[in-house]
Amino acid sequence: MAETEPYESALDSIPGAHPYPRTSRYHDAEIGVHRRADGSEVRYTKRRLLPPLDEETEPHTVGAGERPDLLGQRFLGDPGQWWRIADANPVLDPRELTDEPGRVIGIPLTGGFPRGERRV
Amino acid sequence: MSEQPVGHGPVHIQLLMGPKLARPVPLEVAEALLSAQITTTAGERSGFQFAFDLTKNGLLSRRLLPEGFFDPKTRVIVTVSVRGTPEVLFDGLIVRQEVGASNLPGHSTLTVTGEDLTLLMDLEERTARYPNLPPSQRVLAILRRYSDYGIRPDVYQEKIAQPPHQDLRVHYQTGTDLQYVTELARANGYTFYLEPGPGPGHSAARWGPEVRIGLRQHALNVNMDALSTVDQLTFAYDGTAREEPQARWQDPGTRQSTLLPQPPVSPLRPPLGRRPTPALKRKTLSGTAKQQREQAEAELLARAAVSADVISGSGSLDVGRHGYLLQPRRLVGVRGAGRAYDGDYFVKSVTHNLRPGSFQQNFTLSREGLEARGDTVRP
Repeated sequence: MAETEPYESALDSIPGAHPYPRTSRYHDAEIGVHRRADGSEVRYTKRRLLPPLDEETEPHTVGAGERPDLLGQRFLGDPGQWWRIADANPVLDPRELTDEPGRVIGIPLTGGFPRGERRV
Repeated sequence: MSEQPVGHGPVHIQLLMGPKLARPVPLEVAEALLSAQITTTAGERSGFQFAFDLTKNGLLSRRLLPEGFFDPKTRVIVTVSVRGTPEVLFDGLIVRQEVGASNLPGHSTLTVTGEDLTLLMDLEERTARYPNLPPSQRVLAILRRYSDYGIRPDVYQEKIAQPPHQDLRVHYQTGTDLQYVTELARANGYTFYLEPGPGPGHSAARWGPEVRIGLRQHALNVNMDALSTVDQLTFAYDGTAREEPQARWQDPGTRQSTLLPQPPVSPLRPPLGRRPTPALKRKTLSGTAKQQREQAEAELLARAAVSADVISGSGSLDVGRHGYLLQPRRLVGVRGAGRAYDGDYFVKSVTHNLRPGSFQQNFTLSREGLEARGDTVRP
């Protein structure tokens, strides 16, 4: 390969410099830079705050044997999207959602945009 | 997918309409939508076409159409969520409507056509002077007028700095804002376009180089049996597409005319292929002799960069099978096309074809040379 130009691999080599993919809940999270005592920089994802809870939701009664990922697949079409349901309820441990059958949880409407501080 | 309730499939479309402030459309309008086609091209204006079912005594023909719900200059926002990930596909204005009344019941249609929000900037001709402002500042000054449509400027500094001299020349705009901004972009090797998102009602006006660095989109797989995501992919390699522009510049002090050196285009377009194509044609730019030197250099760079792409690919994919939305004006990897054509490409244009039960995307790709630069693409 030809010699490395400054624009390529400038970002590729730094973990966390790239934005998270659109499907990720950390897509909007800010990337911080921590400078260590020896001057080297460490990139990290800043704490993600839950979006405000004024979105419309659909009630769903939890049945036995349900899991957050199954709910994600059933209502949103992707098991990896369970965090949208956890955000809307809000719970810290996603297993809390489906722990007790009979609990009514809110499912966010499909096509809704997260209300948090969304960055490009 | 059998356990999914009706209306909760992996692809979910939402339509918002209204004058300036778009609201979700009534249920009858959403149910009457027969098909939607949205075209987005790098460096050009995007457009849409919707077809609605126009029943004789329905809400559309009885109330909404006469009351001006589909009038020109009505704002239309389309959002689509694929597997729970929402995305704004389009933000634009209605320009034209057609009603096809048919003798057969259920065959009357209303077709609505429109363009993206850059149409606003193309409505009014304006003459304005911009003394002592470099090109990017002029663009910012123009874009400030359209902020009430949620347009946020995303303006980059020009690659070759052109310090303005009020005593030598005052830059003057004739024509519409869009024409002037596009002309400034072309003179600097940049593109100007509106990118809808991240939320509905917002869009970014990008005046800058094409996005040819950063995160690649999920790769397009072809010829990989069950793992293929693309139905078909055709590549074309046009050797005469690249030309080497030449510019002469005359020093007003000494009257000496010099041939400007060839600038490297890689800062504007980082190479995507390993083997760049040599330029077969040589072209002399006219009118550069009397410009300021920086302007002539910028134009030379711009022309060299525009013609750099010689390989173009086109194909179509099913979003349900691919699982992600292919975004135009970004990079994407291609796998399975053979050693010569694998690797990263710039997505030049995407046409979204939506109808109940199917979401197809037709796309065109481009890059400047054969063979991939790296060993891997992002899956």
